Amino acid sequence: MITADGLTRRFGERTAVDQLDLEIPRGEVFGFLGPNGAGKTTTVRMLSALIAPSAGRATVAGRRLGAENQAIRSCVGVLTETPGLYKRLSAIDNLVFFGRLQGVPNPRAAAERYLRLFGLWERRDDPAGSLSKGMRQKLAIARALLHEPEVVFLDEPTAGLDPEAAKSVRELIETLRSNERTIFLCTHNLAEADRLCDRIALFKTRLVTVGSPEALREERYGRKTVVRLAREAPGIERALDLPFVRGVESGDRELVVSLGDPATENPILVRRLVELGAEIQFVSEWRVSLEEMYLDLMEGENGAD
Amino acid sequence: MERISALLQKEWRESLRNKMVLFGVAVLPLILVGSSIYMMTVGAEVDDPIGEIVLFNTTLMYFLLLPAIIPLAIAVYSIVGEKEQSTLEPLLATPLTDLELFLGKAVASVIPALVVNWVSFGIFLLATKLLVGGIPIQTLTAPWLAAIFGLSPLLALFSVGVTMLISSRASDARAAYQFSSFAILPALIPLIIYSTRQTLVDLRLVALQGGLLAVACAVILFFAVKVFRREQILTRWK
Repeated sequence: MITADGLTRRFGERTAVDQLDLEIPRGEVFGFLGPNGAGKTTTVRMLSALIAPSAGRATVAGRRLGAENQAIRSCVGVLTETPGLYKRLSAIDNLVFFGRLQGVPNPRAAAERYLRLFGLWERRDDPAGSLSKGMRQKLAIARALLHEPEVVFLDEPTAGLDPEAAKSVRELIETLRSNERTIFLCTHNLAEADRLCDRIALFKTRLVTVGSPEALREERYGRKTVVRLAREAPGIERALDLPFVRGVESGDRELVVSLGDPATENPILVRRLVELGAEIQFVSEWRVSLEEMYLDLMEGENGAD
Repeated sequence: MERISALLQKEWRESLRNKMVLFGVAVLPLILVGSSIYMMTVGAEVDDPIGEIVLFNTTLMYFLLLPAIIPLAIAVYSIVGEKEQSTLEPLLATPLTDLELFLGKAVASVIPALVVNWVSFGIFLLATKLLVGGIPIQTLTAPWLAAIFGLSPLLALFSVGVTMLISSRASDARAAYQFSSFAILPALIPLIIYSTRQTLVDLRLVALQGGLLAVACAVILFFAVKVFRREQILTRWK
């Protein structure tokens, strides 16, 4: 649905995006993570045919960037970092205006559908400027979806929203995924990216890494099982003589065991620990948060700079 | 056409809800029409024919000033307002072309200016007819009518072109408004010429002004259209 091949954008001497290669299939929620000034917005602007790349090629929904820019703008929906609504116009007038620009056959009916979907129908005649921040964000998302785009670019969709509004936006993104829309999600909310995204890319002017959150964790940290013991078992880590155990770290009544395939190896591990006299309280998967991994990888990237 | 029409309607809806724009569009015509009517009533009692002509010419010149001044308020807010509300990016993310955006913005400013100007002129004619029996035929000549109806669109276009160029560089509406004010110069220069020549306006003068304005409009609009490039708007307009 989105492909990029060596996509580069320079502003004078400064390179904002350097040799970006991407391939995002239909129906995927793709998280694009990176620090401020990493070039995320420039990437979105290039992929939504707002600015031209300095080098490289890309296609969006099968349309070639550069040659079919207007067609690309017809089939993408963009939620910008700020809602960008006409404050003096009513909620419905904002949507109808953008619906007409996008060539929606019956913009008023489409606007009504989305206003109802987002619970804004009762406020349809209120000026957009008088709506709460969460309502404005929902209205901006409705605007991005009004023409049923194949690809949706969402830049910080839950930034500044209260937990309830943020939850409803996340639920909406999940609904969009089930509708086979491709979603390109720029966010600083790493827990949100972890929860919503099929794959994530860590980006800082160039692509640092890309993959599913799970695959990235496994690739970087391996798979580990945490065994919580009821009592201290001194020396048990040394007695753990199973061939598939790649390493054991022990702490305060806790063992962290590196494994290759926890699904098949965990039962054997537990059995062996019991045989060795361990009293097991809990067994859980050791999970590095996306935030830790992000900071870890970005630190490495800063070091590389 | 649908996209330009949508943009036009949006601009007008926004303008009607913007007190600053409404004030800019409505107050000046009211003042100038009021003062024109007053000058006509005074002029009708003047014995000196030359003085009378100068007075009447000056009065009619107001209707060349209005089409240059009225679009300022609309055009300034139409561009600076987009910047203030951060609506440019969502707008440019639609299939709207750069030319459609420019035309929509320009026409949205020019049409109300012409309508207000010509309606004001109609009110002025009606009021003078009722109060002093009408404007003397030797003053309201064909060249004057040609000027009011023929030059007005060019003056409005020039004004909009200048305002768009300046507004693209300004983030503050007041600053843009002040700098754009020099767009009324083409309307002021003939005022000075006509007043000091103490003579009737003739077709040669109107044609000369029209020709010069057409060239100035072409130059200004060329640069304004150049400024209205999607990429420039997103990366350079602050």
